[in-house]
Amino acid sequence: MSEVIVVTSGKGGVGKTTVTANIGCGLAMMGHTVTLIDADTGLRNLDVVLGLENRIVYDLTDVIAGNCRLRQALIKDKRYEGLHLLPTAQTKDKSAVRPEDLISLCEELKDLFDYVIIDCPAGIEQGFKSAIGAAEKAIVVTTPEVAAIRDADRVIGLLEANDLNDPKVIVNRMRMKMVDRGDMMGIEDILDILGIELLGVIPDDEEIIIGTNRGEPIVGNDDSLSGKAFRNIVMRILGEPVPLLNLEPNQGLFLKLKKIIGFK
Amino acid sequence: MATQHLLETAKDQPAVLIERTLRSGQIVHYEGNLVILGDVNPGAEVTATGDVVVMGVLRGTVHAGASGDESATVIAFRLQPTQLRIAGYIARSPDGETSRPNQPEIASVRDGIVTIEDFPIGGERSGKN
Repeated sequence: MSEVIVVTSGKGGVGKTTVTANIGCGLAMMGHTVTLIDADTGLRNLDVVLGLENRIVYDLTDVIAGNCRLRQALIKDKRYEGLHLLPTAQTKDKSAVRPEDLISLCEELKDLFDYVIIDCPAGIEQGFKSAIGAAEKAIVVTTPEVAAIRDADRVIGLLEANDLNDPKVIVNRMRMKMVDRGDMMGIEDILDILGIELLGVIPDDEEIIIGTNRGEPIVGNDDSLSGKAFRNIVMRILGEPVPLLNLEPNQGLFLKLKKIIGFK
Repeated sequence: MATQHLLETAKDQPAVLIERTLRSGQIVHYEGNLVILGDVNPGAEVTATGDVVVMGVLRGTVHAGASGDESATVIAFRLQPTQLRIAGYIARSPDGETSRPNQPEIASVRDGIVTIEDFPIGGERSGKN
Protein backbone atom coordinates (compact mmCIF):
# COMPACT_ATOMS: atom_id res chain seq x y z
CA MET A 1 0.00 0.00 0.00
CA SER A 2 1.80 3.09 -1.21
CA GLU A 3 1.00 6.53 0.10
CA VAL A 4 1.43 10.01 -1.33
CA ILE A 5 1.90 12.57 1.46
CA VAL A 6 2.27 16.33 1.05
CA VAL A 7 4.13 18.44 3.61
CA THR A 8 2.75 21.97 3.64
CA SER A 9 2.39 25.01 5.90
CA GLY A 10 1.24 28.15 4.13
CA LYS A 11 3.85 30.31 5.81
CA GLY A 12 7.43 30.09 4.63
CA GLY A 13 10.41 29.26 6.81
CA VAL A 14 8.63 27.06 9.35
CA GLY A 15 10.57 23.94 8.36
CA LYS A 16 8.68 22.11 5.60
CA THR A 17 11.83 21.06 3.80
CA THR A 18 13.62 19.98 6.99
CA VAL A 19 10.59 17.94 8.04
CA THR A 20 10.31 16.35 4.58
CA ALA A 21 13.99 15.39 4.55
CA ASN A 22 13.91 13.93 8.05
CA ILE A 23 10.70 11.96 7.58
CA GLY A 24 12.05 10.60 4.29
CA CYS A 25 15.34 9.54 5.87
CA GLY A 26 13.50 8.12 8.88
CA LEU A 27 11.21 5.98 6.75
CA ALA A 28 14.20 4.76 4.73
CA MET A 29 16.03 3.90 7.99
CA MET A 30 13.08 1.69 8.88
CA GLY A 31 13.53 -0.19 5.63
CA HIS A 32 10.88 1.44 3.47
CA THR A 33 11.38 2.72 -0.06
CA VAL A 34 10.75 6.45 -0.34
CA THR A 35 10.80 9.16 -3.00
CA LEU A 36 10.91 12.80 -1.96
CA ILE A 37 9.59 15.25 -4.54
CA ASP A 38 10.69 18.87 -4.35
CA ALA A 39 7.70 20.85 -5.64
CA ASP A 40 9.28 24.24 -4.92
CA THR A 41 10.28 24.94 -8.52
CA GLY A 42 12.55 27.98 -8.77
CA LEU A 43 13.46 27.94 -5.08
CA ARG A 44 14.52 24.37 -4.56
CA ASN A 45 16.15 23.42 -1.25
CA LEU A 46 15.48 19.78 -0.58
CA ASP A 47 18.53 18.68 -2.55
CA VAL A 48 20.73 20.96 -0.43
CA VAL A 49 19.29 19.75 2.88
CA LEU A 50 19.92 16.15 1.80
CA GLY A 51 23.41 16.99 0.51
CA LEU A 52 22.58 15.81 -3.02
CA GLU A 53 22.80 19.11 -4.91
CA ASN A 54 25.86 18.14 -6.92
CA ARG A 55 24.23 14.99 -8.33
CA ILE A 56 21.35 16.65 -10.18
CA VAL A 57 21.36 16.11 -13.92
CA TYR A 58 17.69 15.92 -14.83
CA ASP A 59 14.79 17.26 -12.79
CA LEU A 60 11.01 17.22 -12.41
CA THR A 61 10.43 19.68 -15.23
CA ASP A 62 12.56 17.56 -17.58
CA VAL A 63 10.43 14.52 -16.80
CA ILE A 64 7.23 16.50 -17.43
CA ALA A 65 8.56 17.96 -20.67
CA GLY A 66 9.63 14.50 -21.80
CA ASN A 67 13.34 15.35 -21.93
CA CYS A 68 14.20 12.28 -19.89
CA ARG A 69 12.69 9.19 -18.34
CA LEU A 70 11.50 9.28 -14.74
CA ARG A 71 14.23 6.84 -13.65
CA GLN A 72 16.93 9.17 -14.96
CA ALA A 73 15.75 12.08 -12.82
CA LEU A 74 15.57 10.08 -9.57
CA ILE A 75 18.66 10.55 -7.39
CA LYS A 76 19.66 7.80 -4.99
CA ASP A 77 20.48 9.06 -1.52
CA LYS A 78 24.08 8.64 -0.43
CA ARG A 79 23.29 7.42 3.11
CA TYR A 80 20.04 5.52 3.13
CA GLU A 81 19.23 2.60 0.87
CA GLY A 82 15.74 2.98 -0.56
CA LEU A 83 15.62 6.80 -0.35
CA HIS A 84 15.34 8.76 -3.59
CA LEU A 85 15.00 12.43 -4.47
CA LEU A 86 13.16 13.87 -7.44
CA PRO A 87 14.55 17.41 -7.55
CA THR A 88 12.94 20.29 -9.38
CA ALA A 89 14.38 23.02 -11.60
CA GLN A 90 15.93 26.13 -10.16
CA THR A 91 15.81 28.06 -13.44
CA LYS A 92 12.09 27.74 -14.16
CA ASP A 93 8.98 28.85 -12.31
CA LYS A 94 5.89 27.20 -10.87
CA SER A 95 4.03 27.29 -14.20
CA ALA A 96 6.32 24.49 -15.42
CA VAL A 97 4.45 22.00 -13.21
CA ARG A 98 0.70 21.65 -13.54
CA PRO A 99 -1.43 19.72 -11.03
CA GLU A 100 -2.23 17.00 -13.58
CA ASP A 101 1.47 16.51 -14.34
CA LEU A 102 2.21 15.75 -10.71
CA ILE A 103 -0.84 13.51 -10.38
CA SER A 104 0.22 11.23 -13.23
CA LEU A 105 3.82 11.27 -12.01
CA CYS A 106 2.80 10.23 -8.50
CA GLU A 107 0.67 7.41 -9.93
CA GLU A 108 3.81 6.13 -11.62
CA LEU A 109 5.95 6.55 -8.49
CA LYS A 110 3.42 4.76 -6.30
CA ASP A 111 4.12 1.54 -8.20
CA LEU A 112 7.81 1.86 -7.43
CA PHE A 113 7.93 3.11 -3.81
CA ASP A 114 6.22 2.62 -0.45
CA TYR A 115 6.05 6.36 0.26
CA VAL A 116 6.01 9.42 -1.99
CA ILE A 117 6.47 12.63 0.00
CA ILE A 118 5.96 16.02 -1.65
CA ASP A 119 7.71 19.10 -0.26
CA CYS A 120 5.17 21.86 -0.93
CA PRO A 121 6.24 25.46 -1.64
CA ALA A 122 5.15 28.25 0.71
CA GLY A 123 2.04 30.18 -0.26
CA ILE A 124 -1.33 29.02 -1.53
CA GLU A 125 -0.92 29.73 -5.23
CA GLN A 126 -0.17 27.56 -8.24
CA GLY A 127 2.76 25.66 -6.71
CA PHE A 128 0.69 24.79 -3.66
CA LYS A 129 -2.24 23.68 -5.79
CA SER A 130 -0.04 21.44 -7.90
CA ALA A 131 1.59 19.91 -4.82
CA ILE A 132 -1.61 19.09 -2.96
CA GLY A 133 -3.45 17.88 -6.06
CA ALA A 134 -1.44 14.68 -6.18
CA ALA A 135 -1.49 13.94 -2.44
CA GLU A 136 -3.67 11.50 -0.51
CA LYS A 137 -2.59 12.63 2.94
CA ALA A 138 -1.29 15.91 4.29
CA ILE A 139 1.06 17.00 7.04
CA VAL A 140 0.86 20.64 8.12
CA VAL A 141 4.00 22.10 9.68
CA THR A 142 3.71 25.12 11.96
CA THR A 143 5.66 26.91 14.67
CA PRO A 144 4.28 28.27 17.97
CA GLU A 145 3.80 31.75 16.49
CA VAL A 146 0.49 33.46 15.82
CA ALA A 147 1.33 34.21 12.17
CA ALA A 148 2.35 30.62 11.39
CA ILE A 149 -0.74 29.23 13.08
CA ARG A 150 -3.01 31.63 11.21
CA ASP A 151 -1.51 30.43 7.92
CA ALA A 152 -1.70 26.80 8.98
CA ASP A 153 -5.39 27.26 9.73
CA ARG A 154 -5.92 28.79 6.29
CA VAL A 155 -4.09 25.91 4.64
CA ILE A 156 -6.08 23.29 6.56
CA GLY A 157 -9.25 24.93 5.24
CA LEU A 158 -7.91 24.76 1.68
CA LEU A 159 -6.82 21.13 2.12
CA GLU A 160 -10.29 20.18 3.33
CA ALA A 161 -11.81 22.03 0.37
CA ASN A 162 -9.64 19.80 -1.85
CA ASP A 163 -10.82 16.58 -0.16
CA LEU A 164 -7.62 16.15 1.83
CA ASN A 165 -9.39 15.48 5.08
CA ASP A 166 -7.82 14.82 8.48
CA PRO A 167 -4.46 16.48 7.91
CA LYS A 168 -2.04 16.11 10.82
CA VAL A 169 0.07 18.84 12.37
CA ILE A 170 3.73 18.95 13.35
CA VAL A 171 4.73 21.78 15.69
CA ASN A 172 8.31 22.77 14.95
CA ARG A 173 10.74 24.93 16.97
CA MET A 174 9.05 24.43 20.32
CA ARG A 175 10.79 26.12 23.25
CA MET A 176 9.48 24.61 26.45
CA LYS A 177 11.24 27.20 28.61
CA MET A 178 9.35 30.00 26.87
CA VAL A 179 6.10 28.10 27.24
CA ASP A 180 6.76 27.64 30.97
CA ARG A 181 7.35 31.38 31.30
CA GLY A 182 4.09 32.06 29.46
CA ASP A 183 5.90 33.73 26.54
CA MET A 184 5.05 31.10 23.94
CA MET A 185 1.92 29.28 22.94
CA GLY A 186 1.73 25.76 24.28
CA ILE A 187 0.72 22.65 22.35
CA GLU A 188 -2.74 22.75 23.90
CA ASP A 189 -3.36 26.32 22.70
CA ILE A 190 -2.26 25.44 19.18
CA LEU A 191 -4.42 22.33 18.98
CA ASP A 192 -7.35 24.32 20.39
CA ILE A 193 -7.27 26.62 17.37
CA LEU A 194 -6.36 24.15 14.64
CA GLY A 195 -8.54 21.31 15.90
CA ILE A 196 -6.61 18.55 14.11
CA GLU A 197 -4.55 15.58 15.24
CA LEU A 198 -0.98 16.17 16.46
CA LEU A 199 1.67 14.14 14.67
CA GLY A 200 4.58 15.39 16.74
CA VAL A 201 6.50 18.23 18.33
CA ILE A 202 10.08 19.15 17.38
CA PRO A 203 12.10 21.12 19.93
CA ASP A 204 14.00 24.21 18.81
CA ASP A 205 17.48 22.70 18.41
CA GLU A 206 20.75 24.13 17.07
CA GLU A 207 21.70 20.63 15.92
CA ILE A 208 18.95 20.81 13.27
CA ILE A 209 20.50 23.94 11.74
CA ILE A 210 23.96 22.37 11.81
CA GLY A 211 22.64 19.19 10.20
CA THR A 212 20.70 21.13 7.57
CA ASN A 213 23.78 23.15 6.62
CA ARG A 214 25.88 20.01 6.31
CA GLY A 215 23.26 18.13 4.34
CA GLU A 216 22.84 15.55 7.11
CA PRO A 217 19.28 15.21 8.41
CA ILE A 218 19.12 15.07 12.21
CA VAL A 219 16.92 11.96 12.29
CA GLY A 220 20.02 9.81 11.93
CA ASN A 221 21.61 11.37 15.03
CA ASP A 222 20.96 9.04 17.94
CA ASP A 223 22.09 11.45 20.66
CA SER A 224 19.90 14.44 19.90
CA LEU A 225 16.44 15.06 21.27
CA SER A 226 15.20 16.48 17.97
CA GLY A 227 16.42 13.37 16.14
CA LYS A 228 14.40 11.28 18.57
CA ALA A 229 11.38 13.54 17.99
CA PHE A 230 11.62 12.89 14.24
CA ARG A 231 12.02 9.14 14.76
CA ASN A 232 8.86 9.17 16.85
CA ILE A 233 7.01 11.03 14.09
CA VAL A 234 8.13 8.39 11.60
CA MET A 235 6.83 5.65 13.91
CA ARG A 236 3.48 7.42 14.11
CA ILE A 237 3.32 7.67 10.30
CA LEU A 238 3.89 3.91 10.26
CA GLY A 239 0.88 3.56 12.53
CA GLU A 240 2.54 2.91 15.89
CA PRO A 241 1.21 4.92 18.82
CA VAL A 242 4.31 6.50 20.37
CA PRO A 243 3.81 8.78 23.39
CA LEU A 244 4.89 12.42 23.10
CA LEU A 245 8.49 13.17 23.98
CA ASN A 246 9.38 15.04 27.14
CA LEU A 247 10.97 18.14 25.64
CA GLU A 248 12.66 19.33 28.82
CA PRO A 249 16.02 17.65 28.44
CA ASN A 250 18.17 19.00 31.25
CA GLN A 251 15.86 18.10 34.03
CA GLY A 252 17.97 16.65 36.83
CA LEU A 253 16.78 14.00 39.22
CA PHE A 254 16.41 16.60 41.95
CA LEU A 255 14.06 18.77 39.87
CA LYS A 256 12.02 15.77 38.85
CA LEU A 257 11.72 14.73 42.46
CA LYS A 258 10.59 18.21 43.41
CA LYS A 259 7.89 18.11 40.74
CA ILE A 260 6.68 14.72 41.91
CA ILE A 261 6.47 15.87 45.52
CA GLY A 262 4.62 18.95 44.42
CA PHE A 263 7.08 21.83 44.77
CA LYS A 264 7.26 24.05 41.74
CA MET B 1 -52.76 28.38 21.71
CA ALA B 2 -49.52 28.77 23.57
CA THR B 3 -47.43 27.51 20.67
CA GLN B 4 -49.07 30.04 18.39
CA HIS B 5 -48.22 32.84 20.78
CA LEU B 6 -44.58 31.74 20.90
CA LEU B 7 -44.38 31.67 17.14
CA GLU B 8 -45.93 35.14 16.81
CA THR B 9 -43.24 36.68 18.98
CA ALA B 10 -40.45 34.73 17.26
CA LYS B 11 -38.21 36.42 14.77
CA ASP B 12 -39.60 35.50 11.40
CA GLN B 13 -36.42 34.96 9.45
CA PRO B 14 -34.96 31.85 7.89
CA ALA B 15 -32.06 30.21 9.68
CA VAL B 16 -29.27 27.99 8.52
CA LEU B 17 -27.01 25.50 10.34
CA ILE B 18 -23.35 25.21 9.50
CA GLU B 19 -21.98 21.99 10.93
CA ARG B 20 -18.27 22.67 10.80
CA THR B 21 -15.50 24.94 12.01
CA LEU B 22 -14.77 28.00 9.86
CA ARG B 23 -11.07 28.51 9.27
CA SER B 24 -9.01 31.54 8.26
CA GLY B 25 -10.00 32.81 4.80
CA GLN B 26 -13.42 31.19 4.82
CA ILE B 27 -16.46 33.47 4.48
CA VAL B 28 -20.11 32.78 5.22
CA HIS B 29 -22.88 35.26 4.40
CA TYR B 30 -26.54 34.49 4.96
CA GLU B 31 -29.76 36.45 4.60
CA GLY B 32 -31.29 35.40 7.90
CA ASN B 33 -30.09 33.83 11.15
CA LEU B 34 -26.91 31.82 11.25
CA VAL B 35 -26.04 29.00 13.61
CA ILE B 36 -22.54 27.55 13.52
CA LEU B 37 -21.89 24.20 15.15
CA GLY B 38 -18.14 24.63 15.48
CA ASP B 39 -15.57 27.36 16.01
CA VAL B 40 -15.00 30.53 13.97
CA ASN B 41 -11.22 30.90 13.79
CA PRO B 42 -9.26 34.15 13.39
CA GLY B 43 -9.34 35.34 9.77
CA ALA B 44 -12.77 33.81 9.08
CA GLU B 45 -15.74 36.11 8.43
CA VAL B 46 -19.36 35.51 9.30
CA THR B 47 -22.13 37.89 8.25
CA ALA B 48 -25.89 37.52 8.62
CA THR B 49 -28.82 39.87 8.29
CA GLY B 50 -30.25 38.37 11.49
CA ASP B 51 -28.66 36.83 14.60
CA VAL B 52 -25.47 34.81 14.76
CA VAL B 53 -25.11 31.91 17.18
CA VAL B 54 -21.78 30.14 17.49
CA MET B 55 -21.83 26.84 19.36
CA GLY B 56 -18.09 26.99 19.87
CA VAL B 57 -15.32 29.57 20.16
CA LEU B 58 -15.84 32.74 18.11
CA ARG B 59 -12.38 34.19 17.38
CA GLY B 60 -12.94 35.65 13.88
CA THR B 61 -14.92 38.60 12.55
CA VAL B 62 -18.68 38.58 12.89
CA HIS B 63 -21.40 40.89 11.61
CA ALA B 64 -25.00 40.42 12.76
CA GLY B 65 -27.89 42.51 11.44
CA ALA B 66 -25.78 43.20 8.37
CA SER B 67 -28.58 45.02 6.54
CA GLY B 68 -29.23 47.41 9.42
CA ASP B 69 -31.19 45.46 12.05
CA GLU B 70 -29.98 46.95 15.35
CA SER B 71 -31.89 44.38 17.39
CA ALA B 72 -29.67 41.59 16.08
CA THR B 73 -27.47 39.73 18.56
CA VAL B 74 -24.37 37.60 18.56
CA ILE B 75 -24.17 34.67 20.95
CA ALA B 76 -21.20 32.36 21.36
CA PHE B 77 -20.09 29.71 23.82
CA ARG B 78 -16.84 31.69 24.02
CA LEU B 79 -17.06 35.21 22.62
CA GLN B 80 -13.52 36.28 21.67
CA PRO B 81 -14.00 37.92 18.25
CA THR B 82 -11.36 39.88 16.38
CA GLN B 83 -14.11 42.33 15.51
CA LEU B 84 -17.81 42.29 16.23
CA ARG B 85 -20.33 44.31 14.27
CA ILE B 86 -24.04 44.70 14.78
CA ALA B 87 -25.85 46.71 12.09
CA GLY B 88 -23.73 49.90 11.77
CA TYR B 89 -21.92 49.53 15.11
CA ILE B 90 -18.40 48.18 15.29
CA ALA B 91 -16.62 46.85 18.35
CA ARG B 92 -13.24 45.20 18.62
CA SER B 93 -11.55 43.25 21.35
CA PRO B 94 -9.62 45.51 23.77
CA ASP B 95 -5.87 45.85 23.19
CA GLY B 96 -3.61 43.90 25.48
CA GLU B 97 -4.54 41.22 27.96
CA THR B 98 -8.23 40.87 28.56
CA SER B 99 -10.27 38.71 30.85
CA ARG B 100 -11.75 35.68 29.17
CA PRO B 101 -14.94 34.63 30.89
CA ASN B 102 -15.33 30.89 30.74
CA GLN B 103 -18.98 30.92 29.80
CA PRO B 104 -21.37 31.83 26.98
CA GLU B 105 -21.89 35.53 26.26
CA ILE B 106 -24.27 37.64 24.20
CA ALA B 107 -23.54 40.86 22.34
CA SER B 108 -26.25 43.37 21.51
CA VAL B 109 -26.65 47.10 20.88
CA ARG B 110 -27.86 49.10 23.89
CA ASP B 111 -28.17 52.90 23.69
CA GLY B 112 -25.93 53.00 20.66
CA ILE B 113 -23.15 50.91 22.21
CA VAL B 114 -22.25 47.30 21.56
CA THR B 115 -22.71 45.63 24.93
CA ILE B 116 -21.50 42.20 25.94
CA GLU B 117 -23.10 40.30 28.79
CA ASP B 118 -23.08 36.84 30.25
CA PHE B 119 -25.61 34.56 28.66
CA PRO B 120 -27.24 32.79 31.57
CA ILE B 121 -28.84 29.46 30.96
CA GLY B 122 -32.24 28.21 32.07
CA GLY B 123 -34.85 30.06 34.14
CA GLU B 124 -32.68 33.06 35.00
CA ARG B 125 -33.19 34.40 31.52
CA SER B 126 -36.92 33.93 30.98
CA GLY B 127 -38.95 37.12 31.19
CA LYS B 128 -36.06 39.35 30.15
CA ASN B 129 -36.34 41.87 27.32
